This record gives sequence, structure tokens and C-alpha cells, in this order.
Amino acid sequence: MLRVPPLEISDLITAADPATGRRLPVRRAEVVERLRAHGDSRAARIVAGLPADRDGVLDGVAVDRLLISVHTEMQRLSEELRIGERLVHLLRPLFTAIRASGVPGPYRLVDIGCGLGYLVRWLAATGALAPDVELLGVDLDAALVGEAARLARDEELNCRFVHGDAFALPEAATVYVSTGVLHHFPEPALTEFFAAQGASPALAFCHYDIAATGLAPVGAWMFHRARMRHPLGRHDGVVSARRAHSDETLLRTAAASGMRPLLYEPRRIANPFCTTLRPVLGLRPHLEAPLRQALGRSSRRLLGPEQLVQAAR
Amino acid sequence: MTPALPLAALGVIDAAFSGFRAYAGRDARIRKHRANTRAALRGLAVGTVLLLAPAVTAVLHLLTAADPQRAYAALTAGGSGYLLPLTLYATAVLLSLAAYLLLPFRASTLAMVVGLGPLTLLRPLAIAAACLGALLNGGGWASLLVGAVAGAAMLSVEPLVHHHWYRPAHTVTEH
Repeated sequence: MLRVPPLEISDLITAADPATGRRLPVRRAEVVERLRAHGDSRAARIVAGLPADRDGVLDGVAVDRLLISVHTEMQRLSEELRIGERLVHLLRPLFTAIRASGVPGPYRLVDIGCGLGYLVRWLAATGALAPDVELLGVDLDAALVGEAARLARDEELNCRFVHGDAFALPEAATVYVSTGVLHHFPEPALTEFFAAQGASPALAFCHYDIAATGLAPVGAWMFHRARMRHPLGRHDGVVSARRAHSDETLLRTAAASGMRPLLYEPRRIANPFCTTLRPVLGLRPHLEAPLRQALGRSSRRLLGPEQLVQAAR
Repeated sequence: MTPALPLAALGVIDAAFSGFRAYAGRDARIRKHRANTRAALRGLAVGTVLLLAPAVTAVLHLLTAADPQRAYAALTAGGSGYLLPLTLYATAVLLSLAAYLLLPFRASTLAMVVGLGPLTLLRPLAIAAACLGALLNGGGWASLLVGAVAGAAMLSVEPLVHHHWYRPAHTVTEH
């Protein structure tokens, strides 16, 4: 029997026109009914408590404020789990490999679904990547990306944020990245997501998401209970872990990009207590050898589909 | 030796951490060392005031006891029993924190996942264990009362600091 993945409240309480990015009205009763039909009465109660107008349309300003607040709390988890350092551990060798392959700079790193843009702002604030890497965050949620831009201005950080579709940017990305985005896509949409990157001029992608282990939902419950205050954040945090894609799914769908799919620290060779998030990468084939060289001893943690099968034996 | 001083020291350190936690997750800026320090100081100030409650409770008990010397001895025994579980808890927190701050990101994730995260949730249990320790070490009901007041005071610091300075409608970006 096909398992129906649980729903995240934050995916349901906002909607935007895919063509224009303009906000669409969301009826509270419809979201509540959908969550109830899914058997998630707790989530239905959380949504039923959100403010709506006389027609039952969710109050957009209140929803934006709530999502910014929840994402700010989520950033704390990224800070505590040192997500920035985790990404730099791979991104620095990746850009070294790109430079070594003869592609001239400047390069552009695009963070898809950047939310409040923590990664991009952290990279800008720490200067962890070389100055020839332009930092750009993109998100379909206008409120989140607007807040990301405000925060960057506030700290005078050298990075940019754009509201819209990451694959419709006027400037091509060199590397696409994301953190905690992949589990939002069901498998067919995930395949399309990777295929779009393969069809773009990008040289690589590196998407971090929750490692799908038996411990992940328990760990997510504990951390969101300990660190997050709003019930929406606590609910969605656990649901995210339950929706996380397996290593095999990520490699299979990433192959649709036509790039070389690789996993760094997949479940079979990593301690789940040390690797709460792990990335799936896609590389233009000529980049694999220089990346492995730049990674040094750590390259043994980088596995393709055939090596994952071997590790399983 | 009276356990009052190490207990007070643990209390104010815990209050500073509570202040930090009250602020954490309320500010999405990257550079916020000063704001973190300010939050810890706020927690410390609130905690210091709240810690007067168990001190006053203990003093009132001594002043009204029929045999103050015996009451003092019982409170001392209770304080020692109260201190032991808290010392174990504080040691676990400090070791986790040191591992988190000093080790590379993989090991620091481990310190966070098996140490600091669960230990935050276990604070009420640590205080319950301390109260039990006070009782079992011969502190009597007076020690239990003082310990319970101290525990309630410590658990109140984070919500009070959050409510006063950091709840969403009141949060402003501070430089």
C-alpha cells in the first residue's frame, strides 16, 4: 500500500500564483478540512486558531508574521547544528574543483527556497567562500525573502535576495544549493526539480536535507520541543523528518538531472547522531575527479549509486 | 561546609543560560554576540532576584524554628542532597557545551543531539531529582520546601525574560 506522506501546515497556509508570484487567498476551512481528512487533527486545530477575515480567508499579514517568527526559530536549529560549516565543508572544495576545471569566474551560488536566507547571509558574514562567488537567495514566499533582504541590509552583508522562481532568473547559477527543501517535494516533483537544474547552465547542485533515519522523527520531536515555541513549528519540524526522502530516492531522482548523482555521508556510512542533514549532489561529469581531489580523504564519504549498492552489501 | 554558595553559583549560571535561551530564536541576524550577552545578563539579573525567594524561605524557617541549630543542620544536609543531582546535571551540560564549542562540526552535532538538546528538556527532571535528593539526605520537609521554591524560581527565569523582553510583539532589533 502506498504511504501517504503527512502534510506540513506551512505548505498549506500560503499560496502564490506560480506565474506572477502574487499571493492567492487561502480559505482556513479548506485547510482545516484537508488536514482532518489526512487524519491530522492536531494540525487542523492549529490552523483553526489562525486569524481569518469574515469570508474565512486567512489573514495574510498574520500568516506572514507567523512564518517569519517560525523561520527565525528554525534558524536557531541551523545555527546550533552548524549548518553553515557543514555546507562550506563541501562547497569550498566544489568551487576549487570548478576553478581547477578552467571555468572562469565570477561564479554564482543560488540558494533555492532560501527562506530567511540564513545560509546566504552566513556565507556573506563569514566570507567562508572566496569573493569571486556571488551569493543569491531565491524564494517563492515574498514575506520570507523580503525579511531576508531586510536582515542582509541591516548587517550590510554582500548578498542578494530575489522573490520568484530560481529557474527563471535572468542570470545563470553556477551552483544551486538548498537546505531543508527537498522533503517538501513528492517524488515526481523532486525528479522535475533536479531535471530543471540539469537543463540549466549550472555546473553542480548540492542540496542538504534531513537524513531519513529511524532516529530522525524522534530527534526532530525532541529538538523542536526544546527549541521552538510556536505549535506550528513543532508540528512541521516532526512532519519534515517523517517526509524525508531515502538515500536511494535522492540518488534516483537526482539522476534525472543528467548530472553525476552523489551522496555525501549517506546513511550506511555515517553516524546518524553526527549527520542529521546530508546532501545530494549533482555534478557535470568532468567535475567529479577534481572535487574528489579537493576533498582529499573526505572523498571516501562521497558515494554514487554503484558505491551505495556496494556499501549495502 | 554549607552548600549554599555552590547552589547559589549554580543558580546564577543557570539563570544566565536561561536568559540566553529566552532570546535564542527571536533574532535572525548573523552577528548577535552583544545581544546574546545582553540576554544572558538579563537572565542573570532576573535569576538573582528570584533566588532571593528560596533564601528568604530558608531564613524564615530558621527564624521560626524551635531549635535553630537543628533546623540549620537539616537544611545543610538537604542542601547537600539537593546539590548532588544538580552537580551531575551541570557537569553533563558543561561537558556537552565544551564538546559543542571545541570540536569540529560532526562531533559538535553529536554533542548537541545527545547532550545539549535533551538536557534542556530534562531541566525539570533534574530539579525534581534534586528535591528528592534533599529529602533522602535527611533534609526533611523544610529542605524540600526550600528546594521546590528554588527549583520553581530557576524554571521561571526563561519564561519571565522571554515574556518581558523577547515575546514576538515586543521584540525589536537591538544593536
